[in-house]
Amino acid sequence: MAPDDLRALLPFMILAASPVAVILAIAFYRGHALSFIISIAGLLISFGSLFYSFRYAPRAVTPLLIIDRYSLFFTGLILLATLAVSLISFGYLENRSYRRGEYYALLLSAALGASTLVASSHFASFFLGLEILSLSLYAMVAYTRGSRFSLEAAFKYLVLASVSSAFLLFGMALIYSYAGTMELAGLALVSRAGPSVFATAGLAMMLVGIGFKLALAPFHMWTPDVYEGAPAPVSAFVATVSKGAVFALLVRYFSAFSLHDYPYLFWVLAGISILSMLIGNLLALLQNNVKRILAYSSISQLGYLLVAFLASGPQSFAAVSYYLASYFVAMLGSFGIVAVLAGPRGELVNLEDYQGLVWNRPWLAGIFTGMLLSLAGLPLTAGFIAKFYIVSAGVQAGQWALVLVLAASSVIGLFYYVRVIAAMYSKRLEAVPYGEVPVGGGIAVAVLTVALLWLGIWPSTLIGIIQRMIYGN
Amino acid sequence: MKLYLLIPALPLAGFLINILFGKWFIKDKANWIATPAVIGSWIIAMITVAGVMAGHRVSEDLYTWVISDGFRVPIGFLIDQLTAVMLVVVTTVSALVHIYSAGYMKGDKGYYRFFAYLNLFTFSMLMLIMSNNFLQLYFGWEAVGLCSYFLIGFWYEKKSASDAGKKAFIVNRFGDFGFGLGVMLIFITFGSLHYETIFGKLGMIAGQSVSVLGWTVSLPTLIALLLFCGAVGKSAQLPLHVWLPDAMEGPTPVSALIHAATMVTAGVFLVARTNPIFNLSPTAMAVVGITGGVTALFAATIALVQNDIKRIIAYSTISQLGYMFLACGVGAYGAGIFHLYTHAFFKALLFLGAGSVMHAMGGELDIQKMGGLRKHMPVTYWTFLLASLSIAGIPGFAGFFSKDEILWQAFASGGVGRVLWGIGTLTALLTAFYSFRIIFVAFHGEFRGTPEQAHHLHESPASMAIPLVLLAVGAVASGWVGVPPFIGEMFGVENSNLFGAFIGHVVSQPAAHGAPGQEMMVTAMSVVVGLLGISLAGVFYISKPGIPKALAKNFSGVHKLLWNKYYIDELYNFIIIKPTLWVAKSVLVDTTDGKIIEGVVNGVPRGIGSFGQRLRKLQTGVLQNYAAMMALGVFVFVAIALMILVGGVKG
Repeated sequence: MAPDDLRALLPFMILAASPVAVILAIAFYRGHALSFIISIAGLLISFGSLFYSFRYAPRAVTPLLIIDRYSLFFTGLILLATLAVSLISFGYLENRSYRRGEYYALLLSAALGASTLVASSHFASFFLGLEILSLSLYAMVAYTRGSRFSLEAAFKYLVLASVSSAFLLFGMALIYSYAGTMELAGLALVSRAGPSVFATAGLAMMLVGIGFKLALAPFHMWTPDVYEGAPAPVSAFVATVSKGAVFALLVRYFSAFSLHDYPYLFWVLAGISILSMLIGNLLALLQNNVKRILAYSSISQLGYLLVAFLASGPQSFAAVSYYLASYFVAMLGSFGIVAVLAGPRGELVNLEDYQGLVWNRPWLAGIFTGMLLSLAGLPLTAGFIAKFYIVSAGVQAGQWALVLVLAASSVIGLFYYVRVIAAMYSKRLEAVPYGEVPVGGGIAVAVLTVALLWLGIWPSTLIGIIQRMIYGN
Repeated sequence: MKLYLLIPALPLAGFLINILFGKWFIKDKANWIATPAVIGSWIIAMITVAGVMAGHRVSEDLYTWVISDGFRVPIGFLIDQLTAVMLVVVTTVSALVHIYSAGYMKGDKGYYRFFAYLNLFTFSMLMLIMSNNFLQLYFGWEAVGLCSYFLIGFWYEKKSASDAGKKAFIVNRFGDFGFGLGVMLIFITFGSLHYETIFGKLGMIAGQSVSVLGWTVSLPTLIALLLFCGAVGKSAQLPLHVWLPDAMEGPTPVSALIHAATMVTAGVFLVARTNPIFNLSPTAMAVVGITGGVTALFAATIALVQNDIKRIIAYSTISQLGYMFLACGVGAYGAGIFHLYTHAFFKALLFLGAGSVMHAMGGELDIQKMGGLRKHMPVTYWTFLLASLSIAGIPGFAGFFSKDEILWQAFASGGVGRVLWGIGTLTALLTAFYSFRIIFVAFHGEFRGTPEQAHHLHESPASMAIPLVLLAVGAVASGWVGVPPFIGEMFGVENSNLFGAFIGHVVSQPAAHGAPGQEMMVTAMSVVVGLLGISLAGVFYISKPGIPKALAKNFSGVHKLLWNKYYIDELYNFIIIKPTLWVAKSVLVDTTDGKIIEGVVNGVPRGIGSFGQRLRKLQTGVLQNYAAMMALGVFVFVAIALMILVGGVKG
């Protein structure tokens, strides 16, 4: 390993060291604030070192990892999202009497797993990253273990994720048996070599594993239950970081296939996309639980993302990257609000709890409105620009059917977003025991709101970064 | 931070504060937010205008909302001489109207709402005039229309008011439809929305033609006429003038600000702003000039016989706007803008004076029920008189200089211009007559109202009187910056037409050719007809009050035609509104809406709901089911894949 390899890996090493530091610190002194500060520091230093390792990119570090602009961009996104989650979590956990320090070790490990995913170039690192991420998440989902829902959610997640990992591994094995390589780049060989039963079945099984992580229909069933049961900050993490990392991987390696040369893959993914958009939006209409609404919303959002992915080409890279960033902001913000509002007696998740929120917590109601409007894709928010890019990528690729479904399901989606907003601005029914707004969570949602408007009003900054990432200048 | 940004930003802030907190916290103190905001905006506007005079021209994009490479939404500002003139007009009149409204609207239950809308209007108007591109102009254009709609229907419990608001909104849609098409055509043709880019590329469309519905039309003419459609609607020119008289249902300060001084002049501003496009098309110029001339005369004749004080002034506004278009039509954009600028002062003053009278008379509008008000309301009377002298074109007053310049430019342009000059001079006679008809009927003679009203007569409070006096200064003196050279020379002043030189940087000014003797003749004519009109009004309404009645009797057909405003409203009712309503009722409501749309609207959610219910049954919460679903998914995947594969291998 050359010294430059280590320099390129610096952000990952710092990120890996942080959970160790948290655990060690707990061994000597158990304090919530201390663990929190260590993890914030770790995330910030790791983020700062991205700019340092940027100078050594692109670089293949061992056959396992590739450090280039693409992986650094998404690692940056993951680190910032994790930072937001830890800020939100701090206030949330303060209100609860569990052992709080270890949570940050889990959170940091999960972030490490996610960053490994986006940098992986090999089945082994892919699987390792995924498992580091998943194992941390099982524990995080169950972290408030006094709650029966939390345990149930964790258990469901554990079982179903294991099933999906099994599919993934089996798929990898089949592809290996066909292509003779474990490098992800070998997937491109599969497409060039022409049809084969092994390769086809292998790809299908890998897609199941990926589809599960992305909660795409029909592998989405776990999502509402897990999002509902998990603590709100963890739901935020699952909805954003875990999905974003897997999607980034999907885009990097599966766009190596020219999808049009492999029509079956294209049609299967198109079907998944349409199914996700429709199921996500339709089922969200029937929910009364804000966390479940957000869960279904995230299913449909990933369906939208697939539309851009299927458009392929540099345009679609840009659309996917922008959309992921804007989706991160809006989802983190929405779950952040749920977490910030959580009172001492637990989270407030029913629509009735939000009735008349504007009269009690006008700022939070305003922020939540912005986040929901962004998810719905209305102008002046990041979501509008993001959706615009997706539609224009889809139109340029001539994917009319997908674009039409996207448009139609967006309209359906508008209903339930507006339903939540309307509840917040209607007359309030009775006094709801809102908790004090914790400082960390308050800062996090405020910063996310600024980001939301910034991306919506001055999109050119991020677009510039993304275009430099894609075209490399 | 650029200082000029505060000009629109302050009224916007005022609007936000009042609309958010007005209902509960600010209530009857709303004017203390709104008025300082606009006065602050006025001060900064004056600083900015001074900068323009010193040669600082602003033209920049503040930022571009990039949506894609092909489509960018710019927010940018252009502050040149034309914008500077408009800034003076808009901020000055707006500030005075704000001050006046504090007294006029006192005790109204929508006090905070009124000031919020006034602020919003001011903001929108400022964005309109300060824009450097068509899109922002268009947004401002629609926003002022929306504010106008809110304010006309401000007393929405009154049916006539809310009807008038709707009428204004709908009539303007006709014009704005054309305007919108024009903006799109510009974007398609030039690939840009910035004035400067477009004006720089005009060479490439000169002489081009396009085919529209089988006609071959020159491209510049088509663009110019589409833009002019918008101007016709907004500035209430024939045939879309019908909304403005009805708009008088709004509170009087609104009439002064929006329907006299600022919004209705946006059409003239648009034509002047896009003058390079109009200059390419003599046809479009002729249409503008003739529309203006005909409207000027047409509206003035209606004003002769009306009795509602605000409607007389409204028709007068339509007529004066006609003058401005007449000027633009003969290429004298500078003269048109000059008239826009002087008109803003004396017309706002007339409206505020009328408001003062209404305030004293308990809302009475009929001049026949007034009379002798001069004794009770000296400030209102004298300021009203000054404004009337100004509009009648009496030498020395503002209106004289601007109207004279228009008439001279029309005359000097020759050809159709001579005819327009004739129409303009005749209109000047009528203008003087109807303006002094108000003076003599309402302010002189004996009081003819109820004893109750007579008892109540009083001068308006200072908050209303001071704006009147300040506007009167403008109505008299604002024209002194544009004295024609031949008069300037009489007083030994060189380059006395400062205004013409100033605005000449932006708009092309035709070099009026003609002997100085001719100019003097034109001026003399307009002074003579002005004096003649005033004297005729004096004879008709002071010394021989029998004449009007006799005339109305002997020429009852003409009188009836004028009294009913040429039956235009009835005509529209017959050819547009009735058929539209019939189609709406029988085709849309009964068939389409009742059967087709309702079926879809009710059916689809029901369908979605029941489908969702069925879907939800799958979401059992039982782990094994979920895993089974996943396995099923894999099975289907692989099956599809293999089928395609096998099919592919076979094929």
